[in-house]
Amino acid sequence: MHHRLLLRRRGAMPLPSPPQPAPRTPGVAGGRLFASLPSPPPLQSRREVHVWYLCPDELNDHSQLDMYKELLSPSERKNALAMNGPRLQKDAMLSRALLRTTLSRYTDAKIDPRSFEFKKNKFGKPEILWQSDGSSMEWPLHFNISHTSSLIACGIAMDTLIGIDVEEKKRKTVKNILSLARRYFTPSEVDYLAKISDSDAQQKEFIKLWTLKEAYVKALGRGFSGAPFNRFSNQLETNNRIQISKAAKVCNDSDSGCDYLSENWRFALAGLNSSYYMAVCIEDNSRGSENGSVPLGLKVWKTIPFIEDTLVSGTDAVKLIT
Amino acid sequence: MAAIAGSATASFARPVKAVNVSPVSFAGLRKDNVSFRLQPVPQRFTVVCAAKKETVDRVCDIVKKQLVLPEGTEVSGASKFTDLGADSLDTVEIVMGLEEAFKITVEESSAQSIATVEDAAELIDNLVSAK
Repeated sequence: MHHRLLLRRRGAMPLPSPPQPAPRTPGVAGGRLFASLPSPPPLQSRREVHVWYLCPDELNDHSQLDMYKELLSPSERKNALAMNGPRLQKDAMLSRALLRTTLSRYTDAKIDPRSFEFKKNKFGKPEILWQSDGSSMEWPLHFNISHTSSLIACGIAMDTLIGIDVEEKKRKTVKNILSLARRYFTPSEVDYLAKISDSDAQQKEFIKLWTLKEAYVKALGRGFSGAPFNRFSNQLETNNRIQISKAAKVCNDSDSGCDYLSENWRFALAGLNSSYYMAVCIEDNSRGSENGSVPLGLKVWKTIPFIEDTLVSGTDAVKLIT
Repeated sequence: MAAIAGSATASFARPVKAVNVSPVSFAGLRKDNVSFRLQPVPQRFTVVCAAKKETVDRVCDIVKKQLVLPEGTEVSGASKFTDLGADSLDTVEIVMGLEEAFKITVEESSAQSIATVEDAAELIDNLVSAK
């Protein structure tokens, strides 16, 4: 057992046991560990997003993985085991461990990672289920998770809907880029892609657009069919703002229900570790922030939960594109 | 007398399953006081035919091609796309592959309700027969 695992935050008082809805395995090593999840700087405003990510390929220590496994609920463990093969099972497990430990950080360590419960909204988007018996505190935390085969990211926002999507820059599609774009994107986006003659550059722009659109749809939380990609355009403007606008032809009929495609959404697109594009989207209802609006504040940490956290935003690892 | 909509007996040429069926109590039913209604089912039930094996097999092939699965991975009707590791980009590519292979168009709302290979195959059979 590494001694580093028993680090306590300096000056931390012994923590009361958090309210737990169901008894968990007693005497588990992870029991005292959540005290060692340091509190991050708080989310300053609704326009700030924090992203925590881990790389499954780097996490192979069995006792570490067992420790993460212990954080999961029985149904999460069952779902992880239903995945096809040990790699996907490990990723699924790590994804839940990442979510739980990340959320715990934003509760001043008052809520044990194992204590969180979740529900799904009517479209299937996961949300925190807070106990309504008044015995526990609540935080207006919103989260969203994104997976690639080599990185799992968890985005956190305060009091506002959030969507995040991460994709490998070099991800090769089986289908041809333009046929994918024609089937799923708007005409203006197809035109934009068609004008790019270099196929690598075209593929990168496709991935950028894809992550932006995915982040938006995930923030909306209505599922892929709730906001079909060809009903809205994401334009990467020359002043580096991302504008989302309804695709003119498709949204003119009043019955097609494009009302939810409101334009109160704020995006950030960044290159991550020179291998990934990451797009984050939050709802922003603040009025009067047209031109020169304050960009979305983004902080990114790479984490090995309970072991090491590294702030990577503000370094070369995170290159803002917008 | 009671009318029952439920799993078919062997007298049907193809297996039929009913979805959204409310539980029916079988207490007190005997052979002579039960009638099977062979009329069109009420609108609140959807009777979906199990997909053709040939369609399921073709869907499995397309899925395997898209996901580049490890050798020996079993893909069958019951396989869930998410359990196979398909993300959203994989899913749209699979849907496009199915559209091309079967010459159909899949609406986003239908695509979203597909969880397994069997679901996809059923949808395809319905779309193909509706052409």
